[in-house]
Amino acid sequence: MSLKTNAAAPRASERESARRIYFTLAAIIGGVVSVYFVLVPVLKLNLAFHFYLMLWITMASAFNVASGFSGYMPFGYVAFYGVGAFTTAILVQKLHFPVLAALPFSGIAGVTLGLMFAPTLRLSGIYFAIVSLALAGICRLVITNLPEEVTGGSFGLHLGSRAEPVLSFYVMMCVMLLALGTILWLSRSRLGKALRAVRDDAEAADMMGVNVVRVRLYGWLIAAFFPALCGGVEAWYTNVVDTETAFNTLTTAKTVIYAVAGGLGTVTGPIVGAFTMVWLDELIWREFPRINMLILGIATVLLVLFLPRGLIGTLLRRRPQWRRYIP
Amino acid sequence: MESLVLNGLINGLIVGGVYALIGLSLTLLYGVLRIVNFAHGEFVIGGSFLAYVLFNSLGIPPLLALPVAAVSFFAAGWLAYYLLIPRLARSDDPEIMSFLMMYGMSIALAAVMLLMFEADSRSIDYAFKPISMKVGPIYVSTARIVAFGVTVVISAALAWFLYRTLPGKALRATIMNREAIQIVGVDVEKLSAFAFALATGIAGVTGVLIALVFPAFNAFSGAEYSIIGFIVVVLGGLGNPIGALIAGIIYGLAEQLATVFLPQALAQIVGFGILVGTILIRPTGILGWRAQR
Amino acid sequence: MSATKTTAAAIGVHGLHKRFGGLVALDGIELEARAAEVLGIIGVNGAGKTTLMNCICGIYRADRGSVSIGGRDMTGLTPHEIAHAGVGRTFQIPRVFRKMSLIDNLLVPVLDRNQTDRALIERAEAMLEQMRLIELRHNFAEELSGGQQKLLEMARMLMPEPKVVMLDEPFAGVHPTLCRFMIEQIEAIAAGGKTVLLISHDLTSIYRLSHRVAALNQGRVIAEGSVDEIRGNPAVVEAYLGA
Repeated sequence: MSLKTNAAAPRASERESARRIYFTLAAIIGGVVSVYFVLVPVLKLNLAFHFYLMLWITMASAFNVASGFSGYMPFGYVAFYGVGAFTTAILVQKLHFPVLAALPFSGIAGVTLGLMFAPTLRLSGIYFAIVSLALAGICRLVITNLPEEVTGGSFGLHLGSRAEPVLSFYVMMCVMLLALGTILWLSRSRLGKALRAVRDDAEAADMMGVNVVRVRLYGWLIAAFFPALCGGVEAWYTNVVDTETAFNTLTTAKTVIYAVAGGLGTVTGPIVGAFTMVWLDELIWREFPRINMLILGIATVLLVLFLPRGLIGTLLRRRPQWRRYIP
Repeated sequence: MESLVLNGLINGLIVGGVYALIGLSLTLLYGVLRIVNFAHGEFVIGGSFLAYVLFNSLGIPPLLALPVAAVSFFAAGWLAYYLLIPRLARSDDPEIMSFLMMYGMSIALAAVMLLMFEADSRSIDYAFKPISMKVGPIYVSTARIVAFGVTVVISAALAWFLYRTLPGKALRATIMNREAIQIVGVDVEKLSAFAFALATGIAGVTGVLIALVFPAFNAFSGAEYSIIGFIVVVLGGLGNPIGALIAGIIYGLAEQLATVFLPQALAQIVGFGILVGTILIRPTGILGWRAQR
Repeated sequence: MSATKTTAAAIGVHGLHKRFGGLVALDGIELEARAAEVLGIIGVNGAGKTTLMNCICGIYRADRGSVSIGGRDMTGLTPHEIAHAGVGRTFQIPRVFRKMSLIDNLLVPVLDRNQTDRALIERAEAMLEQMRLIELRHNFAEELSGGQQKLLEMARMLMPEPKVVMLDEPFAGVHPTLCRFMIEQIEAIAAGGKTVLLISHDLTSIYRLSHRVAALNQGRVIAEGSVDEIRGNPAVVEAYLGA
């Protein structure tokens, strides 16, 4: 018995120091990033670039909850984004809500849509991916064919004089921090462990006492909530929403690619991925605007072939002991 | 009304034939390689643009473009296979990663076509003589009848190949059980390359037919045909060639008849609805047969 | 741990039928395991051993018949409900959570316990120490060898302190040294008062570990009794040799 406690004591202190390193790292990085984004409007840096950087970090991170944590590939992820965008736009334009009061409803709309799609969670792999794609198509078609008085038809909805770039920038920052906080919590929480177990082997997890259906649903709703918020904030930022841009499949494409580039299943992966790729995208866009899409496509192919685990995923495979510090 | 329905039936059959070919090549790819080819629609539209270029720059009529498309796409597919697929097989989850890779491929190909042909819709101004024929009480354009004839010939040839020849049987055996066929001593690598090339070749040919059957196409049409391909493949049962042929015809008929009775947007929603419903309720497809996994 | 005297069987299986299409996998199984007993289940491949286990833990729904654990009826419950009733198991081919650390693997069955994370982690580390896996605790489970994965599964099974454990071919594909270690572990589990259902087609280890043995053939219990009774049973010999 005494032998056991002797062996356990250094492990406890080692755990404690790992915890300390982890939280210190998280605080430092989180602090630096927050201060940087806070200063963007103050220092008159490129507002649009940083707004979209935060948007993509949020999108890719939330997508990661569905893919990296839960094992689904929702190729119709844009549905949540689009529905969120239209919710805010309709509430503001037609029902004269203040924007900040309308935004939470975008989140609720995303969760509601997530609940409606919940029956598809029993599918897996390619079947889930195709169904998700089709459901996004249905969402787009339904909204496109709603009466023009509601959705503004092909001209879209204009939010008029409510544009407040700096304020919407800070709101986007809050959404991003909320998303990252949630996911950081999730990665250490019991729900997160249950989700990963279900992802790896749902049947075995079930036999180990995990309520598979419930756990999957929780993960799915988290993944549905944030893109809807992003859609709402972006609608406010650009001041206009139409079905072509709100349900653009490129939104899904970018989300997936950025998340994969960093590494699915890690918290830092999608952040690093979005950061790297948005920055690259901007560079390419400035130099070669015509072949932007082409490069995005080729980059995806190359990523899948040569870096399927993403930047962070590959790093952590080389250095398994870092997994304790890099979530 | 009656002639409208008859019109819908005949056009449904013709359009369905094209869909059947898209589904057939897509299902072959999934069956043999476990690849869901998101870029298949772009492959198909690539064939349409090839026919367009051949006709507009060299004056080669669409019927002669068929063999050119078949050979060049087959070769391109063979090459693409060895460039992409063996490396892909090494990843953790090849099935979903292939989907992602082909997603990227579809974006890239659409971008290339956009760079070459702009965003405008294109069509081939080639007229058969006579320009249309009378089928029963209604007129159908000769181009569509010719396209349908070609579809039937290709489908029949493929069915004969898959069910009567040795390489065809090997392909079907691979769909059923990939491990077993390796033990029997078939070179699966080569067979897979052949399947990929064959599917790409069929896609190219289908593209030429689309240029004949549909009024126009553009760089972004590919996604639409990919989705239709998915619907057909799922309806027929993933990896089931005969199922894909039947499902293609059924879907074509349903779509054309739906446009008679429903507004166009609603008809599209019905298409997506069929896809979702089939997967949720009867994932083995209408024939109830699924490739062993 | 004192073995409390209960009238109800630790595992009770009554009239269990299960068919897959035209194949009858279980054909009216009657079986009872007493508390703190090691019940060995033997039978050739396809006799229905694993199907029986899958029915008990709820992954398969039996067509007819009932399963009870400690006198409580389990029929129709979901696998996680059955797990919460105190049933743990391992698999013939290990099914670990591949992309989770060993510690996290062990935490999965106890996630809804009202204990602090710290207490659970300490327990998990003690388990890993017992299974000689402690040095690898931060590795992903997929980085273990097949034999180590079997040990990890056993530790995971024991984490929630189940009353009943089911071991599916624990010695299949395990090298002899590890095999001996596993036998010791199973003996320790049995000595701890748990009811053990031990499935194997390997008779030597079963005869060594079991208090009682049931022989399955074509979905039926063809013989049941002490090790000595089964060893000499002509029906068992015929099922093994005649198959």
